[in-house]
Amino acid sequence: MGLSAAMEIGKNGLNIYRIATEVTSENIANVNTQGYSRQRVLLESAPPTLHNGFPLGTGVQISVVERYYDGLLQQQLVSAQTTQGFDTSKSTVLQQIEPYFNEVSNDGIGTALSNFFGAWQDLTLNPGGTSERQVVITRAQILSDNFQSVSRGLNDAIATQNATLVPLTDSINSTLTNIAQLNGQIKSTELLSGNANEMRDQRDQLVRDLSQKIGITFTENVDGTTDIKYADGGAELVTGSNAGAFSLDQTDPNNFVVQLTPPGGALAIVTPTTGELGATVAMRDTIIPGYLAQVDTLAKSIADAVNAQHSIGFSPTGGTNQNFFTPLGVVDGAAGAFSIDAGLDISTIAASGSALLPGDNSNALAIVQLNSTYTVPSGAPTATFSSYYSSLVSKVGLDVQSSKTTVAQDEAFSKQLTTLRESNSGVSLDEELTNLVKYQRSYQASSKLITTATEMMDMVIGMIR
Amino acid sequence: MRVTANMSSDNAIYNLQQGRAKLDKLQNQISSGQNVNTPSDDPISSRLLLEIGDKLRAIDQRSSNINKATSWLQFTSTSVDGMSDVVNLARKVAGTLNTGSDDPAIRQSAHDQLVDLKKQLIDMANTQFGDQYIFAGADNATPPFSITNNNYDGDGTQLSIEVAQNSVQPLNVTGDRLLKGIGANPTYGTTDILETFDNLIAAVGDNTTPSDVDAISQAALDLQSGARQLNIATSDILARTTRLDNMSKLNEKNRNTLLSISTRVQEVDYAKLGVELSNQKLAFEASLSTTAKVTQLSLLDYL
Repeated sequence: MGLSAAMEIGKNGLNIYRIATEVTSENIANVNTQGYSRQRVLLESAPPTLHNGFPLGTGVQISVVERYYDGLLQQQLVSAQTTQGFDTSKSTVLQQIEPYFNEVSNDGIGTALSNFFGAWQDLTLNPGGTSERQVVITRAQILSDNFQSVSRGLNDAIATQNATLVPLTDSINSTLTNIAQLNGQIKSTELLSGNANEMRDQRDQLVRDLSQKIGITFTENVDGTTDIKYADGGAELVTGSNAGAFSLDQTDPNNFVVQLTPPGGALAIVTPTTGELGATVAMRDTIIPGYLAQVDTLAKSIADAVNAQHSIGFSPTGGTNQNFFTPLGVVDGAAGAFSIDAGLDISTIAASGSALLPGDNSNALAIVQLNSTYTVPSGAPTATFSSYYSSLVSKVGLDVQSSKTTVAQDEAFSKQLTTLRESNSGVSLDEELTNLVKYQRSYQASSKLITTATEMMDMVIGMIR
Repeated sequence: MRVTANMSSDNAIYNLQQGRAKLDKLQNQISSGQNVNTPSDDPISSRLLLEIGDKLRAIDQRSSNINKATSWLQFTSTSVDGMSDVVNLARKVAGTLNTGSDDPAIRQSAHDQLVDLKKQLIDMANTQFGDQYIFAGADNATPPFSITNNNYDGDGTQLSIEVAQNSVQPLNVTGDRLLKGIGANPTYGTTDILETFDNLIAAVGDNTTPSDVDAISQAALDLQSGARQLNIATSDILARTTRLDNMSKLNEKNRNTLLSISTRVQEVDYAKLGVELSNQKLAFEASLSTTAKVTQLSLLDYL
């Protein structure tokens, strides 16, 4: 062997440091790629020979090109993303709803309610006055407009949440399919040679993206694939290269039912409680309907109480048994149906307590006093109109505030985990540049080895000549 | 821990965002002048503010009630004073004729004077406030008295208005209690002033009819108790006005208290916010400056 062995080692060196430079350049190029994990070349000495009478290595060789990856961090990131996904969606929707209840800077149901009873107060001073009667009707109309607008706004928000399920499940399905495809590619690539680092990075990023939308648990298999299960119920979502799919039963256009077909399994109804999907369903089914129910309760109580008092009073012409508001049957949808009774106009307002006395104000006075009596909810009253509404506003405010706080905490936690991941897997340009210089020098040294060996070879050949 | 340039820039973005959010909140508070701009800014205070707002509107409404009621009572009081004057004038006429008169001209003139006075009395009893006859009770769209007979066409209902939460104040004085001496809650007397007037007119006689001295002195006595009846009514009206005055003052005091609470909760302390803003601005400028300096550092510049 002799000199040619030295040249061989030099050639190996050139080759290997060229590859090392390539890995470095890949790192540098991907410094800003989301989900990219930095890679490193692990070098080892090539197997020794006993050619010289003692064992001596045959140069350098690449053991593996590996990526910096922490499986535990991935688990933590996945669960943090799920919580953050849920809280962020919820907080966003709540902040969209809050303006309907912002009595602090705008006039809404609360002011309309005070003004309505204020108009009745004015009527007590002049029960027969046409303008006073007109003001009562106008104030009632404004109150009804306010109720209907809030009811419409909340119902729209519910419908929006329902409609959101379509793009959301579509996006989840495409992520699931991509993960399954990558799983297949990783498995077949790694069967042939080495680690499919970039594909693994992509897949892990997709898993993190998925975890924002739904809660998942995952298992990393020895063949490089990752199996994913749904946290709500434990059904399989991805097994190897097979993906499951979410679908919506749209029989009821206002209330889509979420269903899941696991890979190779049968369609079943699922109840999402985690991630964006869980938040969307919770907003649609529980949180917004909860507010709406309270607005409905208030609307029904007002209509019931005012109607009960109004229908026992008398109009200036002695008419009685006239409802003020259109009677509301059930609490559900009461705010949306809140309107002035068709038979009511300025001549049928019942301010008087007697059929024969048009100037009496006792019924108007009784209606005024409803405002300071416990009347909500109908049947088992525990609050006045305005105090019931104030607590609703305060409750919405509290919910929005606490959801904002939770999101801030989630963000801080996620940021901490991302920092940890970045610390482990992120590309540092300074480091790569140092490596680059290091590899360049090694490359130069290897080529020097070859030129030196060549010179020595020349010398030997010269001796022969 | 290994630190990369990307970590520094992520941290910088996060912290700049936090700083911006704080600046934005301060800016919002300062420019709106309010601590609480949405219910979620401070749910507990918003509830308080809402309840105060509600109470303030109720107080404003009651102040308006009280103002209108005060005007009503002033009208009533003026009319009742006028009636007293009329009754006293009639007593004077009765006094000058208490022994009767043989002169038909004097009798006729006294008779005409008394008939005029009664007309004035009826006019005053038919006083309107807006389009309501104030002495007609709840049947106040038509005049309660007429010149043709002594009947009271109004009704005895005591109208009330709310002057404080669940506290009502009687508003009107009904004509039957005032001039007919009937009705209760409270009763002012039992003299039928209109009837007495007619008796006096009849007793005085005219240019053809002679005077009835006994009847004149009886009518004069009745008019005296009629005048007392009107005085009692006046003092009742004064008592009501005084109560309204007190309620108005009480309302004003409540209003000021509530306003000062609401101001304390809602209005920003500009001095405090100004200091906070300049602190926050300093911190933000510092983080901008360090971000700019640190993110520029790279080994690349030295290779």
